[in-house]
Amino acid sequence: MSHREVPAPPGLPDSWRVHLPMFEGPLDLLLHLVKINELEIGDIPVAVICDQFHEYLGLMEELNLDIAGEYIYEAALLIHLKSRMLLPKRPVEDGGEGEDPRQQLVERLLEYRRIKEAAQTLAETHRVRQGIWTRQTDLKELRDEEDDSLDMGEISVFDLLGALREVLVRYDRDHPDPLLLDPAAFSVRDQIDRLIGNMEAGRPFNLIDDLRGRRARGEVVAAFLAVLELARLRLIRLHQTDAGDLLLYRTTRELSQEELEGIPG
Amino acid sequence: MSDKSQIEAVVEAILFVTSDPISRDQLAQVFEGVDQVVANEAIDSVLARYDGADGRGIRVEEVAGGVRLVTRPELHGYLRKFFEVSGRTRMSMAALETLAIVGYRQPITAPEVQELRAVNSSGVLKTLLERRLIRIGGRKKVVGKPFLYRTTREFLMHFGLESLQDLPPLEDFEEVFGGDAEEV
Repeated sequence: MSHREVPAPPGLPDSWRVHLPMFEGPLDLLLHLVKINELEIGDIPVAVICDQFHEYLGLMEELNLDIAGEYIYEAALLIHLKSRMLLPKRPVEDGGEGEDPRQQLVERLLEYRRIKEAAQTLAETHRVRQGIWTRQTDLKELRDEEDDSLDMGEISVFDLLGALREVLVRYDRDHPDPLLLDPAAFSVRDQIDRLIGNMEAGRPFNLIDDLRGRRARGEVVAAFLAVLELARLRLIRLHQTDAGDLLLYRTTRELSQEELEGIPG
Repeated sequence: MSDKSQIEAVVEAILFVTSDPISRDQLAQVFEGVDQVVANEAIDSVLARYDGADGRGIRVEEVAGGVRLVTRPELHGYLRKFFEVSGRTRMSMAALETLAIVGYRQPITAPEVQELRAVNSSGVLKTLLERRLIRIGGRKKVVGKPFLYRTTREFLMHFGLESLQDLPPLEDFEEVFGGDAEEV
C-alpha cells in the first residue's frame, strides 16, 4: 500500500488535496480493512467488509479515479459471499458443520499476506543490496577471441527478439525494395487465355506448379482469379489429390462470345 | 604451483578481476596437479582475509553458487558521490510482490500469478523479464500451454542468495508477526 496524492479540484485551494491510500489490488485493500477493523482473518464479518469495500470504491469514483476491473470483480465476489452468508446453512449428512463459504476468501487472503510479507522482506534486501557494488569487468573484452556468443543458460526471449530484429534489419539492407511493377500488368482475362492455351484436353494441369512459375505476386493473384472464373464458367474441373496438389481438367465446353465479354479485365 | 601462498595469490587475483560469482570448482581448475583440499583451503584463507576486517572497503560474498568481491554496503553514499551516480534502480511494490510469487512458487504461469495477486500482472512480469530477474522456463502442459516463469541467477545475485533454498521460508513470517500481519 502506498499513498497517492489526489490534486485538489480546480478552483479550490491546494489544502483540499486529499491523501488517499493506494492499494496494490483488491486483496491489499481487503487486508487493510481487516487490519483497521482489528478482525481475525479466519472470522471476517462479510457484511461489514463488503460495505466498507464498496465505500472505498465509491470514494475512488467521487475523486474521479479510475477503478480497475479487478476491484469491481472482487466487489461482486464479496456481494455474492454476503448473500451466501445470509442463507441458512445447508445441513450436512454426516452431521458435521458444512464448509464455511468464506473459506476460499480466507485462504486467498492468507496466501496473499504471506506473499506480501515476503515482498516486504525482498524490498528490504533490495534496499540494502543496492548499496553493494561489484566490479564492472566485462570478461568478453579480456578473452583473446572476439566472441559474442551467449551462454545458453542465460539466453532470454529478449535476446532472441534482439537477434531476430538484427537479422531483419540486415535482410532489409541486403534486399532493397524490388522495382515497382505496374499493378495493372496482369489481367484476369490474359490469365484465362494463358491457362486455356496451356491446357490440353484430358491431361491434368498442375495449378500449384503453374503458380510457382509466375513472376510476381500480382500475376499469381490474377491467375488464381482466372481459375475461379474458369471454374464458374464450367470450362475446367478442379481436382485435389491426396498429396494436396490441385489439378485442373479442361471440360469439353467452349466459351461463348457473350461470356468472354462478361469476364472482368 | 604448489606453494600455498602462490595459490592464494592467484585466487585473490582472479577474484579481483572478475565481476560474476565464480564457483570453487572453477577456481580449483586453474591449479593443475594441486590437491582439491589444498586448493579449497587456499580459497578459504583468501575469503578469511576480507571477512569482518575493519578498515576494508571490500569483502567476499558467497552468492549464486560462487564467490566474488563486492563493496561494503555502508560505503554506498561515498561511491555514489565519487562516481556521480544519483541513485540505484527502484522496484515497485507490484514488482516485488510478483517477484516474491515467482520466487516462492516457481515454476508458475502468468494466470497463476494473477490469481494470487488478484491483479493483472502481465506488465510487471514483462518488466521483471527485461530486468532479467525472471526468465521463461518451459510451458505448462495445460490448455493454452502458458509460459512457466522462474527466477534467474541474476535474481540470486541481486538478493544475495546462494541458492533458492536460501529464501526465507514463508512460514517464518507467521511466527514473526504472530496471527496478524503488520502493514509497513
